[in-house]
Amino acid sequence: MNPTPVPPLSAADIPEVTANISSPAQRLQSLLADFLDKTQATFSLVIDRGGSILCQQGNLPESTDATILAALAAGSFAATKELAARLGETEFNTLHHQGKNANILVSTVDDDAVLMTVFGPETTVGLVKFYAVGTVHCLATLLKEARTSPDSQIAISKQDFNAIGNIFHQ
Amino acid sequence: MSIINYVNKEVQFKIVYYGAALCGKTTNLAYIHGHITDTNKGELVSLATAADRTLFFDFLPLNALVIKGFRTRFQLYTVPGQVIYNATRQLVLRSVDGVVFVTDSHWDKMQENVESFHNLYDNLVLQGMDMDRIPYVLQYNKRDVPRLAPVHYLEYILNNRPVRVPSYQAVATTGQGVFATLNAISRLLLRKFIRETEETAAAGQVRAPAPAATALSGIAAGTRR
Repeated sequence: MNPTPVPPLSAADIPEVTANISSPAQRLQSLLADFLDKTQATFSLVIDRGGSILCQQGNLPESTDATILAALAAGSFAATKELAARLGETEFNTLHHQGKNANILVSTVDDDAVLMTVFGPETTVGLVKFYAVGTVHCLATLLKEARTSPDSQIAISKQDFNAIGNIFHQ
Repeated sequence: MSIINYVNKEVQFKIVYYGAALCGKTTNLAYIHGHITDTNKGELVSLATAADRTLFFDFLPLNALVIKGFRTRFQLYTVPGQVIYNATRQLVLRSVDGVVFVTDSHWDKMQENVESFHNLYDNLVLQGMDMDRIPYVLQYNKRDVPRLAPVHYLEYILNNRPVRVPSYQAVATTGQGVFATLNAISRLLLRKFIRETEETAAAGQVRAPAPAATALSGIAAGTRR
């Protein structure tokens, strides 16, 4: 049975969703958790368009590597964008892959990121699309904030680097 | 740009193996996958044609060391070398942090090597990057073939920019030079990342948002070049 639809999120919803949470990372996690809860989707992944994972939420089978999903989804979305360009479109905002038991919806977040959602037969593509619209809007706002957040710092010194020998070994 | 995932505490670097068709890009990744320690290794994914030619890319994620609580991950990609796949090469280069330019050492391949190098230059420019600022290394592969171009000649035609870059002789099928090349580009990327984090810390400010065309992404604070 499908869950009862609730209006999609807007940017104004972010404070409510994240009332007691401070860092952009935690707020992103909270937003994705809320999205999964409302859609009953299995897993969601925010991906840099170059293929790197920015954050993720939900559960995948143990044998499934999210890193590989991210690389393939980014590649697939990039290829589709080229298809769109040849048809006079800037890009296709969403990409849906339908399987027997698993589906993937990839949605544009902003110029640099996409949202990938994996879902099964317990929900519908319509419901996932419906909530994805508001979620990507909120994600874009949070990602913009995260870029300039003091949390987005990592302090590594030359001394740390000098202590590193060969990184990879046979 | 390197990407920091603050949820999982990871710094991610994207390395692209670039070069002419059949120069040994995929062979490099296959050797690394087959011989790297299990703790580092991810799954090797190849999007190839039925004839085993790279159609889109090969992808190999590698876990590396932990620095200050952050795990470093290096994501290795190859591009399709065939001339007709230039649009695909441009897609794979998106958000690249470093490049390994793989060269076929056979005399007959010199023109293809140079054309591929120019193609890399052009494709980086299209993405707002340039070879003066992106870390890259050269790998002179197939040093076991007959009719071998001497290293000094390869240096002359490929490593003649104002700043010379590290170059490695290799036989990717046997693994010679493969890990040396991988370690070299990885260290270059880490060094650049550290330099930029120090500069940021010295400036006492967070990194500025990047221009839209090459922007930092998401929760990530990427290093700029």
